[in-house]
Amino acid sequence: MNAPDAKTAPKAARRHAAGHPTPLLDGVEKVTGKAIYTADMNDADALVGRILRSPVSHGRILRIDTAAAEALPGVIAIVTGADCDKTYGVIPIAMNEYPMARDTVRYRGEPVAAVAAIDADTAARALELIALEIEELPAVHTTRDARQPGAPQLHDNKPGNIEREVHHEFGDVSAGFQAASLVREASFHCAEVNHAQMEPHAALAEYDAERDRLTLHSVTQVPFYVHLTLARCLDMDTSRIRVVKPFVGGGFGARTETLNFEIIAALLARKARGKVMMRLSREESIITHRGRPATDIDLKIGLDDTGRITAVECSVTQAGGAYAGYGLVTILYAGALLHGIYDIGAVRYDGWRVYTNTPPCGAMRGHGTVDVRHAFECLLDRMAREMGLDPFELRQRNLLQAPTRTLNELMVNSYGLGECLARVKKASGWDARKGKLPPGRGLGLACSHYVSGAAKPVHWTGEPHAVVSMKLDFDGAVTVLTGASDIGQGSTTIVALAAAEVLNIDLARIRVVTNDSVITPKDNGSYSSRVTFMVGNAAIQAAEELKRKLLSAAAEKLDADPEDIEPGEYFHVRGARQSALPFREVALAALAREGTITVKGSFTCPPESQGGKHRGGAVGSTMGFSYAAQVVEVSVDPDTGQITVEKVWAALDCGYAINPLAVEGQIEGSVWMGMGQALSEETRYQDGLPAHAGLLDYKVPTMVESPDIEVHIVESIDPLGPFGAKEAGEGALSGFPPALANAVQDATGLDMDVLPLSPDRVLDALRKARRKPARKEAS
Amino acid sequence: MTEAMPAFSLLHPETLDDALLALSTTPESRALAGGTDLIVNMRRGLVEAPKLVSLARVPELKRFETTENGLVLGAGVMLADIADSTLVREYYPALAEAAETVAGHTHRQVATLGGNLCQDTRCLYYNQSHWWRKSNDFCLKYRGEICHVAPRGKRCRAAYCGDLAPALMVHDAELTLAGPEGTRQLKLAEFFNEDGAQANRLKPQEIIVSVLLRAPRGKSAYGKIRQRGAIDFPLAGVAVLADCRKQQTTFTIALTGTNSCPILLNDLPPLGGPAEADGYFDALSKTVQKSVSPQRTTTIAAHYRRLSVAALAARLARQLWEEGQP
Amino acid sequence: MKRILDLKINGAACEDAVADNMLLIDYLRDQKGLTGTKQGCDGGECGACTVLVDGKPRLACVTLAHDCAGAEIETIEGQSRNGRLSALQRAFHENLGAQCGFCTPGMIMAAEALLRRNPDPDDDAIKRALGGNLCRCTGYIKIIRSVRAAAAMLARDAA
Repeated sequence: MNAPDAKTAPKAARRHAAGHPTPLLDGVEKVTGKAIYTADMNDADALVGRILRSPVSHGRILRIDTAAAEALPGVIAIVTGADCDKTYGVIPIAMNEYPMARDTVRYRGEPVAAVAAIDADTAARALELIALEIEELPAVHTTRDARQPGAPQLHDNKPGNIEREVHHEFGDVSAGFQAASLVREASFHCAEVNHAQMEPHAALAEYDAERDRLTLHSVTQVPFYVHLTLARCLDMDTSRIRVVKPFVGGGFGARTETLNFEIIAALLARKARGKVMMRLSREESIITHRGRPATDIDLKIGLDDTGRITAVECSVTQAGGAYAGYGLVTILYAGALLHGIYDIGAVRYDGWRVYTNTPPCGAMRGHGTVDVRHAFECLLDRMAREMGLDPFELRQRNLLQAPTRTLNELMVNSYGLGECLARVKKASGWDARKGKLPPGRGLGLACSHYVSGAAKPVHWTGEPHAVVSMKLDFDGAVTVLTGASDIGQGSTTIVALAAAEVLNIDLARIRVVTNDSVITPKDNGSYSSRVTFMVGNAAIQAAEELKRKLLSAAAEKLDADPEDIEPGEYFHVRGARQSALPFREVALAALAREGTITVKGSFTCPPESQGGKHRGGAVGSTMGFSYAAQVVEVSVDPDTGQITVEKVWAALDCGYAINPLAVEGQIEGSVWMGMGQALSEETRYQDGLPAHAGLLDYKVPTMVESPDIEVHIVESIDPLGPFGAKEAGEGALSGFPPALANAVQDATGLDMDVLPLSPDRVLDALRKARRKPARKEAS
Repeated sequence: MTEAMPAFSLLHPETLDDALLALSTTPESRALAGGTDLIVNMRRGLVEAPKLVSLARVPELKRFETTENGLVLGAGVMLADIADSTLVREYYPALAEAAETVAGHTHRQVATLGGNLCQDTRCLYYNQSHWWRKSNDFCLKYRGEICHVAPRGKRCRAAYCGDLAPALMVHDAELTLAGPEGTRQLKLAEFFNEDGAQANRLKPQEIIVSVLLRAPRGKSAYGKIRQRGAIDFPLAGVAVLADCRKQQTTFTIALTGTNSCPILLNDLPPLGGPAEADGYFDALSKTVQKSVSPQRTTTIAAHYRRLSVAALAARLARQLWEEGQP
Repeated sequence: MKRILDLKINGAACEDAVADNMLLIDYLRDQKGLTGTKQGCDGGECGACTVLVDGKPRLACVTLAHDCAGAEIETIEGQSRNGRLSALQRAFHENLGAQCGFCTPGMIMAAEALLRRNPDPDDDAIKRALGGNLCRCTGYIKIIRSVRAAAAMLARDAA
């Protein structure tokens, strides 16, 4: 057993504010309907914006004639590709997309023009009046077609449609396989999936023509990227732009990149010299995409006779869609996160990111790792079976010892995977039940991990990774200013808890102001699970600074040494509560010295956390990984191929749970999202047209088939995390699909190499197996 | 954004006669029941009608009563009321089970029996936005020239996906229809057409008034193939009625979701004794497989719909038979 | 063409000129400013727009406003009384039944209808009643817990 020794394991300190289950600070707005999302904003004086989209997968634009549409009464502005000749994209070195296509369209649904009109009817009629002439070109919708010799090429500078190739080798891979006593290979295919956040996309753009200023309210996870992109695409000075993020109805990565409709809304508003509300339909929201790409994985693992992983060889091909977007990061992540979870002797990784005539892929919860982790944990399970080893035992034999650095120079300072395994093994009754369930029922295990923020952000400016400001004024309230985007994950509450903890004050004394570029400090945004670690640390530092000022003022009043004073709702000298000063009195004393107090805290990931020096080495680098283990129990209907998930036991090492209620919610939500990908979610294109672009055909699981998920929080207390915390919202996702597949194997004897395990695929596999009588089958 | 609703006028007649009059005065008018099908299709630009005649306030359509002929269900009875009815649960369990599987609970509060029977056929090339269909040159069912499912065929292959029809068919339900030419009775089994563009035989401006269920001839059950436990239309659905008499059990089976109309199998050979059972149910499954012809109207493969519904039919039949054994 | 529509929204009588083809969701959001009712799909697929019409849950996105003439409409905005959260609102808040919050109004309204007809639902009853309401954040675990917590709260209050 590698579970931490009780004597040496770090213990979570009993704390005042952190560590207690805390409802979200902005929860009351959500349950009362008062929360204003972008589409809810007052649009009484706004024009209606609508986008004209390409009807073909690939083609040359011969003519866009907007004259008839412009002549329609009530049409105020029309923009086309001619209105913006600036490319955009989340990766500064790979910006190859225009907000509206200029010469070439590369996927069905790509914006080509947009109208702003006085009402929805007029906007709809105007779209019909725009004459669009396109010379259709041959298109490729899969990586296989895109990589054929002579295949139509999407981008002139990318022969063979290869957006990015990655070839990494760490350690001696051939020696590793030679040392192995069991070497196995398998190939997997995982379908493309979409975030399907419940809130459809929307943006409200307002242009102030008198003062040449632009304000955009949008559904973004990263207002800062939107701000920079608007400045670039509208050729405006950044100081003339204001970006505000209202309540956001989920993101899951869909809204990390700046999206075309945000830029188009702004272009329309400027051209109309007014205000434009752009509300996308569900279909358009799904077409805007940026989801997880369809992925092919060839994986080879070598185990020595003790079950230690001696070598891994993995090649990954991703169908990235028509533009670069996040592509090169995704294909790098897929390789980098082979590391950091197990102690592996040597790793070779080959990755190909391929252009296809489909909507661009991007970041989605578990960015880069999910499909590869699926392959890895499935193959590992098959090999355990072949060696006669229990799946838990095989994983336990390959655990890391923290602190350590991985082969590719990733930093691992805390590591609770052993305890996660122990917890779910016990909770699921594994030893007593595994192998003893009736036919058609099975148990499966898998492990997973994820970064707590990218240690090197894609916009590398040299600035700190996070900044939080705090203001204390005459009212005695602490106002926290942060650019961290709360998209439902509870980041606002984390920041407040950090301040309340350090200052030892009531949460009610704290107000958090977020996401308005004219007020709040810049934040790198809500992606790669960075906020708790980085913004949390910055908030702690800011609160420490404020505490220092308050203690100094209190010391003067109490005629004591600041170090002897306990801060809180009442400041007092330790051991002398009778002479306590109320918080506001201390605050006023501090204000008497300098007026309104503003302090700032920041956090910077140190160079040693930022990964190896090899090309692409920054991707995957992080301050700390979360770790998860989960057991899934299934039953499989032999007649219909329908899988029922009976129960899930999931344990996640989040370092320390600053808000255990939110950590539970994140684990449940991520496990469940993994279930969606594993069971039913996939995009389906008919010659490039999305047949899945609605919530009837994109199969987000309903409450009915969603199982009970028993959550176990493991706290390894990361030495650098805020109060020891790491991420909690992504790490468990990638463990679900392989745990499910391993459970289906246990139930049916089927080793399936595809995702999702939709009933048609399962039934096909069951029928095939029945024709081979040697195999065990469900009855 | 989603398309704006097309313009129409909305009438709320309060008697059946007024409703029929309102429909007959405007030939392109459409009857509106719960709206869970029609309004969705209107929002997608699939239906244009200058006038909608809401049937919500017509008392004649709300009947839910036992008569000397059997149980009469008005076309305007809500699916939730059918699913919750102890009477239906006891005597026509397939119907209650089918009603319970439709969409979500909130839909069932407003979706009606008549609306469910008359719901439009479905196809992945049809139930899409205006932009989508226009990009694909529309289709035979609406505004286009070819059927993308079967390009060489001459008819629309869209699938009929109502859950209630098969459950009612195995119970030999009869419809009362009313229209400009008066009132008529029709067996539900004769109500449908194997044509995705016009799946039922309603005459212009005719509506369903009620459904009559005579005393049940046996125990029934409904099963539904779908990916999710709610919301989804059936990939395929099957109702089975088992009439157990002495040594012999006769099965009636009806299927939905597989063809452009529901399929009724009412001349199946009877099952004799237990010794025949295994072979019988295997053969039954094969018969069902041969009786249906699902097309590429869903993203899930057609052959899956055929195989799974056949297996489900045999399973339900076996369960009913086993329950009927002493 | 617009006609006068009379109905009650959250207890208050309303009289408005409303077009025949106006959907209830657009009437509530655009004409009455009640933006708590959400549009999450292109029609009838997600449940985010669930409101109560004469006490029964209805999808406002597939309901014509004039079909509600004379009816009593309840929306999320009417659930708190005198600034006090309803039992369901409190339970969803305290149990993290809402993460991003976008499905929450529809979820609470569908749950409200459930608790009125079944004050003590088990998990299966909750799943049946709320199966048409999609959520993308919670995995539904804490939504089910919230509904049960609200039922317990109401039972305590009634005792």
